[in-house]
Amino acid sequence: MATTSLQLQPASGHGWLTGFVNMIDKEYGSWWRTRRALYHFIMWLLIINGFLLLVGFDAGRQNPWAAVDDLIEVFFRVGGLFATIGVIVATQNTVLAERELGTAEWVLSKPVTREAFLLSKLLVNGLSFIGLAVLIPSVAFFLQTLFATYLQPDIDAFLLGAAFHIQQLLFYLALTMALGTFFNSRGAVSGMAIGLVFAGLILPNFFPWLWDYTPWQLPSLAYFAAVGRALPDGTAPVVILTGLYTLLLVLLAFWRFNREEF
Amino acid sequence: MTDAPVIRTQNLTKTYKNVRALRSLDLEVPRNSIFGFLGPNGAGKTTTIKLLLGLVRPTAGTAEVFGHDIVGDTIDVRRRIGYLPQEPRYYEHLTARETLRFTARFFYQGPAPAIERRVAETLELVGLSDRADRPVKGFSSGERQRLGIGQAQVSNPDLLILDEPAASLDPMGRRDVLAIMERLRERATVFYSTHILDDVQRVSDTVAILNRGELIARAPIEELLVGSEGVAYSVVLRGEAAEARSRVANQPWVSEIHASTENGRTEWLVRVTDTEAAEAQLLRVILADERVNVAAFGRRTYELEEVFMNLVEENGNGDD
Repeated sequence: MATTSLQLQPASGHGWLTGFVNMIDKEYGSWWRTRRALYHFIMWLLIINGFLLLVGFDAGRQNPWAAVDDLIEVFFRVGGLFATIGVIVATQNTVLAERELGTAEWVLSKPVTREAFLLSKLLVNGLSFIGLAVLIPSVAFFLQTLFATYLQPDIDAFLLGAAFHIQQLLFYLALTMALGTFFNSRGAVSGMAIGLVFAGLILPNFFPWLWDYTPWQLPSLAYFAAVGRALPDGTAPVVILTGLYTLLLVLLAFWRFNREEF
Repeated sequence: MTDAPVIRTQNLTKTYKNVRALRSLDLEVPRNSIFGFLGPNGAGKTTTIKLLLGLVRPTAGTAEVFGHDIVGDTIDVRRRIGYLPQEPRYYEHLTARETLRFTARFFYQGPAPAIERRVAETLELVGLSDRADRPVKGFSSGERQRLGIGQAQVSNPDLLILDEPAASLDPMGRRDVLAIMERLRERATVFYSTHILDDVQRVSDTVAILNRGELIARAPIEELLVGSEGVAYSVVLRGEAAEARSRVANQPWVSEIHASTENGRTEWLVRVTDTEAAEAQLLRVILADERVNVAAFGRRTYELEEVFMNLVEENGNGDD
């Protein structure tokens, strides 16, 4: 009986996600069974909450509610910009290095689909990064505002703001991964993705209509939502379009990676 | 069904931009064979292996592994293959045990203790038990190769594809690899590429030679070692051999005799058309003449290296 229970059971998965669970476990391990998560934990607390500490240390002295709004604006606009650049830098190598070093070739000689390979990276990198660069700094942010102003932001409003922020991060993560399937240079991958971030800070000043069709408005939406302001009329199209762009980038990465020869 | 070849390629062709890496390869690999795949650098061996694994796509032609199409059913193909790349690359932060566990979980869904047992057996088999929990980044090239062999066979594959499996191993490591291959022959097919012709001669039953992307020979190893000119016997004689020679030449199963004399010894190379008749009668026909003594007698075979070099040179050197 005991012997029977220890018989190896062949993997039964079929279809486009064959090998996905094993890849998820491996990607999870690359964050959470190494020091990578710890480094990000410390780094994002220092960068985001450390920066807030610098600008908002005495924020609560005159008008506490205005101070909370200011801190939220810094959190989503400045911290958001850091996190966006961070997600690009942290994941620029995710696909590229595996293509270069030959680990992708080795893994893909096993029964695993290329979609499972990419999707596991997208999910684990996305969730790990969001956890470490959004959720934990958000909790720390609540504590900071409490100590600085003796007030707490409205949690529902803040969560809605965080959702916009997360959507922006997922867009840039998908973009970075898609670029990683096309290009063989880290400079090209991170340069294009970071270039798009900075283009979003400049171009809409000259072409305001771009706000309505790009993810560039998301940091403002995150701030408006988090402080409880009414969202602009064009919010829904921006959210829907950004979701579509993200999906298209993932599909583009699948398409390109399926044509990759090792 | 069981006699169907494990690998069957038809007109399999791969072109990279303007370079034809593989030209119309027609190949059949018999079940439970140790199939040596030889060729100079750039001959197309690795390209063939990568085509079988779905890592590159064919420009033309088709191939099947266990009856599964290499393009349409690539996952089913890979489920039955253990593959050792030419230069194995692993996740450097993983230990040897974690690497094997990661590999095994593509093939087995559980239970976890059974997977752990399989991993431990594999570590033992490849001699890495004492380094099992060290990160791969500290491994020597020989240890990496051993781990490569381990990960290739942790799933008990029906087909083991090894690309230069002994290239970076010391003689002891090579011996171990050959022993593993021989052990696997009973239940699996081994398809491997190599430059080490001694190893091929020692363990392979069938050999294919590729040059400039073209298959120039495919035969059981014994047949290949006989040479392309047919079966011949080498006879070294002392004494007056002229009459014996004419008697041998008159035998209906003798096609040709080459004779050379040196230091009073005569050496014949007798080519025959009927091996059985030659082995039964050749020595008797010679010794019928009492003026002749036979100092040495044997079937002429070639070293694989000789055959390989001859074939490659006849077809143009494959080195680019």
